Amino acid sequence: MFSRIILNDMLKSKLTTLITTIFIAIAAMLVALSAILMVNLSGAIDTLMREAKTPHFMQMHAGEIDQTRLEAFASSHDYVEDFQINEFLNIEGAKITINGTSLAHSVQDNGVSKQGQTFDYLLDINGKRIDVHDGEIYLPVSYMKEEVAIGDQVIIQNKAFTVQGFLRDSQMNSLLASSKRFLVSDQDYNALQSVGNVEYLIEFRLQQLEQLSTLENDYITAGLEANGPTITYPLFKTLNAISDGLMIALILLVSVLIVVISLLCIRFTLLAKMEEDYREIGVLKAIGLRVADIKKIYIAKYSVITLVGASIGVVLAYMCKDLLLENIKLYMGESENTALAIGLGMVGVGVLCIIIMGYIYLVLGRFKKIAVTEAIQFGTAQEKSISTKHFTLAANKWLPTNVFLGLKDVMTRKRLYFTMLIVLVITTFIMIVPQNLYHTISSKDFTTYMGIGNSDMRIDIQQTAEIKTKANQMVKALANDDDVQAYNVLATKTYYVQQDQQKKRIKVELGDHTLFPVTYAQGNAPKETNEIALSVMNADELNKKVGDKITLIVDDEAKPFVVSGIYSDITNGGKTAKATFTTSSEDMMWYVINVTFKANPALNAKVKEYADQFSYAKVSHIDEYIQQSYGPTIASIEKAAFIAIVVALLIAMLIVFLFIKMLTAKDRYTIAVMKSFGFTNADITKQYMSRALFVAIISVIIGTIAANTLGESIVGAVIGTFGATAFTFTIQPLSAYVLSPLMLICAVLVATIIGASYAGRIKISQYMKE
Amino acid sequence: MKNIITAQNIIKKFGVGDEEQVVLRDISLTIQAGEFVAIMGPSGSGKSTLMHALSGMDKVTEGQVTFDGKVLALLKENELADLRRNKMGFIFQQPTLLKNINVLDNIILPAMRDKRKHRSTIIKKAQELMERTGISGLEKRDITQMSGGQLQRAGICRALLSNPKVIFGDEPTGALNSKSAKEIMNIITQINQNGTTVMLVTHDAQVAAKTERILFMRDGQIATEMTLPRYNGQDLHERIDKVTAIMKELGI
Ligand SMILES: Nc1ncnc2c1ncn2[C@@H]1O[C@H](COP(=O)(O)OP(=O)(O)OP(=O)(O)O)[C@@H](O)[C@H]1O
Ligand SMILES: [Mg+2]
Repeated sequence: MFSRIILNDMLKSKLTTLITTIFIAIAAMLVALSAILMVNLSGAIDTLMREAKTPHFMQMHAGEIDQTRLEAFASSHDYVEDFQINEFLNIEGAKITINGTSLAHSVQDNGVSKQGQTFDYLLDINGKRIDVHDGEIYLPVSYMKEEVAIGDQVIIQNKAFTVQGFLRDSQMNSLLASSKRFLVSDQDYNALQSVGNVEYLIEFRLQQLEQLSTLENDYITAGLEANGPTITYPLFKTLNAISDGLMIALILLVSVLIVVISLLCIRFTLLAKMEEDYREIGVLKAIGLRVADIKKIYIAKYSVITLVGASIGVVLAYMCKDLLLENIKLYMGESENTALAIGLGMVGVGVLCIIIMGYIYLVLGRFKKIAVTEAIQFGTAQEKSISTKHFTLAANKWLPTNVFLGLKDVMTRKRLYFTMLIVLVITTFIMIVPQNLYHTISSKDFTTYMGIGNSDMRIDIQQTAEIKTKANQMVKALANDDDVQAYNVLATKTYYVQQDQQKKRIKVELGDHTLFPVTYAQGNAPKETNEIALSVMNADELNKKVGDKITLIVDDEAKPFVVSGIYSDITNGGKTAKATFTTSSEDMMWYVINVTFKANPALNAKVKEYADQFSYAKVSHIDEYIQQSYGPTIASIEKAAFIAIVVALLIAMLIVFLFIKMLTAKDRYTIAVMKSFGFTNADITKQYMSRALFVAIISVIIGTIAANTLGESIVGAVIGTFGATAFTFTIQPLSAYVLSPLMLICAVLVATIIGASYAGRIKISQYMKE
Repeated sequence: MKNIITAQNIIKKFGVGDEEQVVLRDISLTIQAGEFVAIMGPSGSGKSTLMHALSGMDKVTEGQVTFDGKVLALLKENELADLRRNKMGFIFQQPTLLKNINVLDNIILPAMRDKRKHRSTIIKKAQELMERTGISGLEKRDITQMSGGQLQRAGICRALLSNPKVIFGDEPTGALNSKSAKEIMNIITQINQNGTTVMLVTHDAQVAAKTERILFMRDGQIATEMTLPRYNGQDLHERIDKVTAIMKELGI
């Protein structure tokens, strides 16, 4: 008898069984993929950093350098295993041409470098240390994607090189690392020296990584060269992991949502089935079958579905993995632990199966509650609903009768429609969060979360001789330009913070910060000369709040400051500060000048005018600056947002279709009755549409609210890990509040019409006999 | 008198090929307005099928059914629905009320589909009918809290609300105890006496004995039919005896 019941069930619900299987397959695929990707990514990064012998501690420095003193420092500390000073020759983009195209518009700091002597190797595509010969050049691996091929020509200030290959740079692979090293031979490097500005890379390898903080402290205490950023091994690792890590996080998030949806799918299939078989189950119980026996039928059915779905998912994951691993393999190389990856993927899928089966057990618990008498007498579960007693047709003046019937049904069978509600809330969420994220990060205001003031044009002057004079020239030009509406000059210099007998270094941006303000998580921009604002990361590290006191060593004197505000910043490793005091010192690390123009003249022409006039400065249209720094990220989020909308709509349609189809099958008797007293198929369809519309509207409202609260905090938390806080969505109302809900509602209605078409095939005569 | 239903040589087949089964074999009949007709016959003889064919709930395979001057086969689905809503009333064996609306709403539902403007008139009429069928005061009752007899009465009110020309009943008393059955039959008889054509399928000689014309079916054909004078409360036993005699004769 069991086999008959289970077979009948499978045959009757072919489509539902199929769709549930598909959902489980997709969930399993995503879980397996994220496990495989995770293991591969961390494995590949480990291999890359091991083979490249990435420095444990690196101090960048522009300006004079005392090599002997540094060497003495290295040899006098036992924990230093190896030490070297490499060089990075920063060359203006305009002076570099690849295949005839200049890099003038590149916002990255491009330059050439020599191969590391005993560590910090630049590796080739096969993960081997590159041996570079005269006249050859190796380009960062990202150029491989830009149709640059081996044998192509690169010209750096009249000197021609042949592209011999591509390199993986364990330090600066990431797009978020602004410097990009091109590798040339030592001899060619020396020949180019006059073309750019040298930046020293003072690099240390330690006996043990745990000694890192000791070295950091000793280095600062010794007062060694430090005009530039400090980067440590863990930070290199994070930089390497971040973009693919985000992708993995996104896949995991989507897979969680798909798992939830497949659970809901199972839930309503089971509940509907249970209601349909209510009488039968009641009878089975009445004739003495145990609940456990009945459960077994369903457990068997879903074990098969889960197993088949999971297997398909694993196969799919195996087939898709290379596609997603491509990027990791290109930038980071092969991972060594393939077996572990597949193993972990299997474990993930195993856990997924356990969750699904556990959930089915839980839902099946309801069988116990089926009362024998009630089941036999009424044939369905009795859902009590006192709350809607007064919502009657007799008292209904305004609603068309079909709409009334639809609403009434939703109200009386809330539990049934709850599933549909949850699915639609989730799909609304999936639709809105990514597009809000996209609109937020592509909006101009978003730059203020990243620590970049909102202006028209941005000028960077860095690593150049007589930097202050050059900045002053620039200021003079801006002051004389009638088109300029406003500008500010921000000069960055490193200062020591005196705290608990310890010295910590922070980079302070000096200038007027009220003009192009960034977004402050707390407090305000510094206005007085004794005020200072800290980036979130620095505030955390120094343990300071708004209003706290802080002591800086300015021009060899300890000076007290008050923290006026804390702001988001993802530039320069996120560790910055802002103040307004002036200093007599000449050696600034870099200048940033923000400019706005009156009534927007031809902005591109303006940018070009300044770029041509001041070749030492990097002049960029702020949109272009954002485009180049974050363009690929923004583009991929746009793509993700688009895919999310399509996927959400498809999921919504599929689930609603299934749901309505099941509902019409379940309600076939009622439908036949209504037809018998003169309701048409169109009437029935209208009733189902009202039900779906009602649920969809509530879902859209809840989903939108959830997206803007919960979604915002989730995204904010992710963005926060980059150092930007106080995150709020920039919403495009037309798209988020009008188009998306409209699309979802249309999708739901279309699915309802298709799903309810079954009602048209219900013959009155057939069901009147039941 | 006017013909309200005419069936000409109707044949109804179910299934195809090997599974084909002829359920109605060439039936012709005429029902006149105001008639009170019963259909009797053994289980599976095609009684329900015949009634579905005459009311347009199901299509015939061959032949033609005319209802109130309209050929059913030529009507579109919506026109058939209109016809059912306005000119026919159905009473089924199981009370077919919708579970999630109360008694009154169930009764007015078909009428409210397109005459919402006359809401108060409809409600008033529904209340009159409820009074007439003996269920007044139960307007707000939940369907699940009603007895079978009460539900059947509510179903009758629903069927009567649109002043239909014909009431069809497929064993309307089949699921009721004898007391309730008697009361329901009295109501139906009343309806007929007010001028509505009534057509009932029944197994019960007591029920059939109250009608004026009985069609006896066997194997998809009308084996024979008998007419009785209009029932006026007298000679019930004689009438029943007559019916059972024919039933015996036909082996029903
Ligand atoms: N939808 C259908 N498909 C196939 N066969 C059918 C269908 N409906 C009825 N039949 C067959 O037609 C025959 C007559 O059925 P019908 O329901 O008209 O009998 P009935 O006289 O009303 O019987 P009962 O007194 O048991 O209600 C039966 O043999 C039945 O099996
Ligand atoms: Mg029958």
